[in-house]
Amino acid sequence: MPKTAAIALRLLALGIAPGLAAAQDVDFVRDVRPILQRRCESCHGAEKQKSGLRLDVKSEAFKGGDGDGPAIVPGDPASPILARVESEDESDRMPPSGGPLPAAEVATLRAWIERGATWPDGVDLARLEDRRDHWSFKPVRPPAVAIGDDAWSRGPIDRMILDRLTKEGLKPSPEADRTTWLRRVSFDLIGLPPTPEEVAAFVADAHPDAYERVVDRLLASPRYGERWAQHWLDVVRYADTHGFEVNTERPNAWPYRDYVVAAFNADTPYDRFVREQVVGDAMGKDAATGFLVTASVLLPGQIGADDVSKRLARQDAIDEIVVNVGQTFLGLSIGCARCHDHKFDPITARDYYAMQAFVAGVEYEDRPMQTPEALERRRSLAGLKAKAAELDRALARYEPPARPGRVRPKEPSPSINEDSFDPTEARFVRFTILDANLHPTLGLIEPCIDELEIYAEGPDARNLALAAAGAKVTASGSRTSGIHRLEHINDGRYGNSWSWMSDEPGRGTVTVELGGLARVNKVVWGRDRQGVFDDRLATAYTIEAGPSLDAMTTVVDAAPSRPAVDARGNSDRFAPVATRRVRFVVEATNNLEPCIDELEVFDASGVNVALATAGATARSSGDTTVFERHELRFINDGRYGNARSWMSSQVGAGWVEIDLGVERVVERVAWGRDRNGEYQDRLATAYRVEVQASDGSWATVADASDRRPSAAGARKPAGPTFSTAGLDDESARAVRAIQAERKALDGRIAAASREDLAFAGIFRKPDDIRLLNRGDPEQPKDPVAPAVPVALGSLALDARAGEQDRRRALAEWIASPDNPLTARVMVNRIWQGHFGTGLVETASDFGRMGTKPSHPELLDWLAAEFVRSGWAIKPMHRRIVLSATYRQSSRSDAEAAARDADARLLWRYPPRRLDAETIRDSMLAVAGRLDPKMGGPGYDLFDKRGGLSGFTPVESFKGDGLRRMIYAHKVRRERDAVFGAFDCPDAGQSTARRRESTTPIQALNLFNSRFTIDQAAALADVAAREAGEDVDARVRRAYRRVLTRDPTDVEAADAREVVARFGLATLARALLNCNEFLFTP
Amino acid sequence: MTRPPEGPSPIGRAWLDRRRFLSSAATGLGSIALASLLGRDGLLAASPSPSIDPAHPFAPRPPHFPARAKNVLVIFCAGAVSQLETWDYKPELIKRDGTPLPGGPAVTFQGPAGNLARPQYHFRPRGETGKMVSDMLPHLAELTDDIAFVHSLTSKSNTHGPAENFLSTGFVLDGFPSLGSWVSYALGSENQDLPAYVAIPDPRGVPQNGSNNWGPGFLPAAFQGTPLSAKDPVRHLSAPGLGLDADLAARDLLGRMNRRHLDDHPGDGKLAARIASYELAARMQLSIPRIGDLSTEPAHILKLYGADDPSDPIKAAFARNCIMARRLIESGVRFVQLFNGAYASGGELNWDGHSKLREQYDRHAAILDQPAAGLIRDLRQRGLLEDTLVVWCTEFGRMPMFQKGAQGRDHNPDGFTCWMTGAGVKPGVSHGVTDELGQRAVQDVHPLYDFNATILHLLGLDHEALTFEHNGVRRRLTNVEGDVIDAILSHPPGAAVTASATAG
Repeated sequence: MPKTAAIALRLLALGIAPGLAAAQDVDFVRDVRPILQRRCESCHGAEKQKSGLRLDVKSEAFKGGDGDGPAIVPGDPASPILARVESEDESDRMPPSGGPLPAAEVATLRAWIERGATWPDGVDLARLEDRRDHWSFKPVRPPAVAIGDDAWSRGPIDRMILDRLTKEGLKPSPEADRTTWLRRVSFDLIGLPPTPEEVAAFVADAHPDAYERVVDRLLASPRYGERWAQHWLDVVRYADTHGFEVNTERPNAWPYRDYVVAAFNADTPYDRFVREQVVGDAMGKDAATGFLVTASVLLPGQIGADDVSKRLARQDAIDEIVVNVGQTFLGLSIGCARCHDHKFDPITARDYYAMQAFVAGVEYEDRPMQTPEALERRRSLAGLKAKAAELDRALARYEPPARPGRVRPKEPSPSINEDSFDPTEARFVRFTILDANLHPTLGLIEPCIDELEIYAEGPDARNLALAAAGAKVTASGSRTSGIHRLEHINDGRYGNSWSWMSDEPGRGTVTVELGGLARVNKVVWGRDRQGVFDDRLATAYTIEAGPSLDAMTTVVDAAPSRPAVDARGNSDRFAPVATRRVRFVVEATNNLEPCIDELEVFDASGVNVALATAGATARSSGDTTVFERHELRFINDGRYGNARSWMSSQVGAGWVEIDLGVERVVERVAWGRDRNGEYQDRLATAYRVEVQASDGSWATVADASDRRPSAAGARKPAGPTFSTAGLDDESARAVRAIQAERKALDGRIAAASREDLAFAGIFRKPDDIRLLNRGDPEQPKDPVAPAVPVALGSLALDARAGEQDRRRALAEWIASPDNPLTARVMVNRIWQGHFGTGLVETASDFGRMGTKPSHPELLDWLAAEFVRSGWAIKPMHRRIVLSATYRQSSRSDAEAAARDADARLLWRYPPRRLDAETIRDSMLAVAGRLDPKMGGPGYDLFDKRGGLSGFTPVESFKGDGLRRMIYAHKVRRERDAVFGAFDCPDAGQSTARRRESTTPIQALNLFNSRFTIDQAAALADVAAREAGEDVDARVRRAYRRVLTRDPTDVEAADAREVVARFGLATLARALLNCNEFLFTP
Repeated sequence: MTRPPEGPSPIGRAWLDRRRFLSSAATGLGSIALASLLGRDGLLAASPSPSIDPAHPFAPRPPHFPARAKNVLVIFCAGAVSQLETWDYKPELIKRDGTPLPGGPAVTFQGPAGNLARPQYHFRPRGETGKMVSDMLPHLAELTDDIAFVHSLTSKSNTHGPAENFLSTGFVLDGFPSLGSWVSYALGSENQDLPAYVAIPDPRGVPQNGSNNWGPGFLPAAFQGTPLSAKDPVRHLSAPGLGLDADLAARDLLGRMNRRHLDDHPGDGKLAARIASYELAARMQLSIPRIGDLSTEPAHILKLYGADDPSDPIKAAFARNCIMARRLIESGVRFVQLFNGAYASGGELNWDGHSKLREQYDRHAAILDQPAAGLIRDLRQRGLLEDTLVVWCTEFGRMPMFQKGAQGRDHNPDGFTCWMTGAGVKPGVSHGVTDELGQRAVQDVHPLYDFNATILHLLGLDHEALTFEHNGVRRRLTNVEGDVIDAILSHPPGAAVTASATAG
């Protein structure tokens, strides 16, 4: 309560003595009403209704306040009003200040209530207004307009404007010239100025429909949708980040922005536009429901762990949707009723929560779009995957068979390897590479040797392989470059820069012809003895030596090992064997209990016969069971990944056995730790695969002994890559061909698996919505079913209505021709887009707090026309911009301005400053740099796309940064460093109409920013290029580009002098800052 | 300014000479220009909202009633400073250190709650009042006799972002006007050469909700806070890489273009307002660098603030921000918001002491204490506290328990402390009480609405009357709530007010 009122009450309390004995009859008018007036009405009267309670009107007084039940219960001495005035607790007692009521007054109230609280009808001093009695809630009633008997009007719009002007003693301004109109209509419809050529063409166009054709051209331009989508995005507070403290990127918001642009360009009927945004998921317009989730939202993890925080965050999230629906489509601020019955509009808290129930199943998340392309992709995916499986099977046939029980050979080192052997008489030494290690991203690639050295027996062994020693080398093939050359292999220099590289992945042969016959006993070689590179390392090879090429002996056999075990999957091939049971025995792991996501057993035709669905069963040595994560049944459920895996009960050991049900011939086992690639722990590093013979004995068919040791922490190749080690040339070629096909297929699978996501909400079972006392989620009251505000309609759904049905019903109700608000609100937004101010100045508030329409009949006429013409928006623009009203000059007139300073009655066209986006886009356009590329993810205005703090603005733009500003990645709260000061909304709350403030920061930004300096330079360049050498021509060209007119003689002379001294860019900078450029004429 | 201003630079002088076209533009517009611009920007004639002359958005405007304070300095400690380690002495918490809190919440914002934990700093009586204040902020503690503490504040959110919004704007959602925007919208500024409202981010970064803490929301952009610090100057004060002569030539040419255009369009106030904005910009180009140039501060002042501390560059940088805050207040800037603490960082860069509270608070206290205390002392010794309200605030408090398995406290919006000192504030009072463990406000409970209403009140503004029409709601800083906290006013309403109102 204001302090002055409290003091007044105190004074009253001193001066007026209550004069009533309890024994007397209590008369409401004489005894009670004065108490209520004095003590209560300042807070519970016509002006204010704290807690929703009003005590100056009978019906309201007995109804009580928000969620508290009746305050006055006739005959009940426990009535809340008595309890409150008699309360001992100062914080609870009424009135809240001025001390307790005098005892006599309390006694009067008590006596009155006890005796039945008689409150005669017709004695109230205040009258309850009918809040439904409000112009915008009534049906649209278009007037009959008589047209044609005045020389000025071109249609009904003008007739109604003129009538009103005439009534006020005003008259329209003269028609603006063609250039002015063209500039105005271009800014209005496409947000860009006309080009000098467009101006010239229009001025010269003598056809009677010249104006009409300009309008048609502009409306057909894709630039139109970009311009008008911006107005819409302002209202729905679109942004590309999530807002609030973390303000992380919302990377898939832009499909909604693109949807809005496309919808305007396609002239989507407005009723359909409404439906699509509320329930587009049912209409093949998935991105459209981005509308529902444009608000800031707290993401999981930013909300408190406690339930109170979670409930509040959810309420806030739903509230934003209701607010958006109310403001955008209905022009009503329904959201206030979240905490209490709306103070001015006839919207109750119950109405509000009933609106929540329509959207209570919407979650702020990305959703895959069900576009025809996406559906087609999904269809093709199955085929591609089948093909991939086929190729994998083909490849598996070339897999080197396991050689269990092998003694592990020494592993080659990338730096240096010494292979000694018995002394052998040799003129030729051949080094044959059979396999190489896998590159982390490229897989199997061409091996490389930096130096191959051959030593003879004896105390002072020399390297006989050196070219300098007379040796010659040949190779199976070489990939030659500046650093890799065959002659580098025996040049005596080490390191990658002096090395040889084979031309074949994983294979290659080098033959050294020595200067003469020698008894050799050692070969030394390395990949990079400078220790920088460890890829391209020969891991399997043979060395042969002999006196001639026909008489070679194998002196070193570093036969191929199979690849090290890989957490993402392994294959063990063996000779086909008939068996019923296959057992995988783990002997060691890299740590902890072993875990296997799937064990597959393949027959000769490549079919996995271990699947439970194929009748196989599993048992094990013991399980660590984590429900729905690690269970024995997941070993053969056909699904990969840690979340569907088997885990042994023993650390570092355990076995799992598949009973195939019947005896089958099998030849390969495949197994992995986590084929989704997340986990590398719990990997079996030593294991054996056993099969059971019909006599019950077990035989080992594969183990890890012939695998390379698993290098802990080593970089792993990007995917399973098949080694060609040990294959003959023909097979190796076949493998490479299959691999190439497989790789191409991978790319197609990845492309087909890509979902086009849109931040457009996901839909689930609706929350149970309850009326919340004072908006507090911790004080839930009655359940509420979906319904529209009672004052506006009668649509109500069952509480069991399905999620989509709720939104569909809401959309239908909004988009109905009978809804008194929908069409009015939209035609008013269109009008505002052309005149700066709507017929209703408060474009998102058509409620009782909003302003009344300046031309109510015109508004209704437009609304009726809108609906009659199928809710089409483009014809509405056409009507407006071709009207005589719109064609007026914007010149001011002192006499008219004195009567109607704001020109709300449109005695002139009201000029206005361009908005931020139009200024930026137009600067780029006149400088010849605007990139018309449409759609897709936004370009950056800052050094990052979301996050906590410290956004550093991009200063100088190129590439995508030269697109229209609607395609900027909009970071909520961070206004653009240059144009944000021009009242660019921050996407926090809805912006129904751009403000038009003027600040010194705007001047600093526009005059000094790198952006302006860059565009001024570009403008100077293009004007010079177009105009040639003549300074006057250049000045004229710059004026035409920026202001679509020629300079006057005075201006030309002025400019010439500046250009002569400081260059054309100085003129350009001034032009880009001048008022004439920055205002709609 | 106490010092005579230095002469304008050549750019500034040339630009200031152009004032004549401003004045010629302004004459003849008279009331028409003004009338056409009233009612724009949603200013309803019926409300007692200020009338903004767009050509002079920062012109001083009268308050609703005589003001106690002309300027405001807000020291905003981001991350939620623990009331229990600082201003709210709870002996019972010391007694019950290490014991569970029966009936306390099992799960708080970040997760499971642990046992009660004693204050991590020693408390001792201070000054004449003998109020118990901890040793964490020894310099500020010396000012206790001048401070009015409110120990019983509550917030509407226990999440930093929404809660900082709530403290700064009165709403947990994004997009509402900040306190400083409301004040500069209502009162304009005493200095036309500087922004009316300056926000000074911490040297370590901006606070959780970034610019929403100084955003204009739906108020005209003129009233947004201009971020400015001793380290980062205002953007676009000068054009990159252009010669002085070319710069001047462009300005002159632009001036002539605009003047001719205005001559052709008489009676359009918006055009005159834009011309005026370029003039104001030119003055800012001179005055802003001057404010940020601390080289003229004497050594004893640098020492008072700790700006000369070579051992702690962050403290020294914060101290320089404090000196700049004083210079702004001294120059008549209406509202200065000085941030201490940056964004969410596990408590490393702000006061969000979840896990290692003592260790982190030692660090943050060293940065805040001497510079902030120095700032208040310096304001006082220059007589500026007569007209300046100083507010120390944080978005919420912390729990009396440590978090389970941690050495820090979780978020607590149900009872925390902020304070005021300076113009119009009753010195040496402690108002409001939390329970014996400092968890919940139990006596004289004040939602932050009341705190903000009190700030407006001291500026001569009725928080219920200061409104702006937006989308159907006559918005206020205090939504539909707020009661002025009379107990901390030196002149409660009804008492004689002697201070003069601001000019207008």
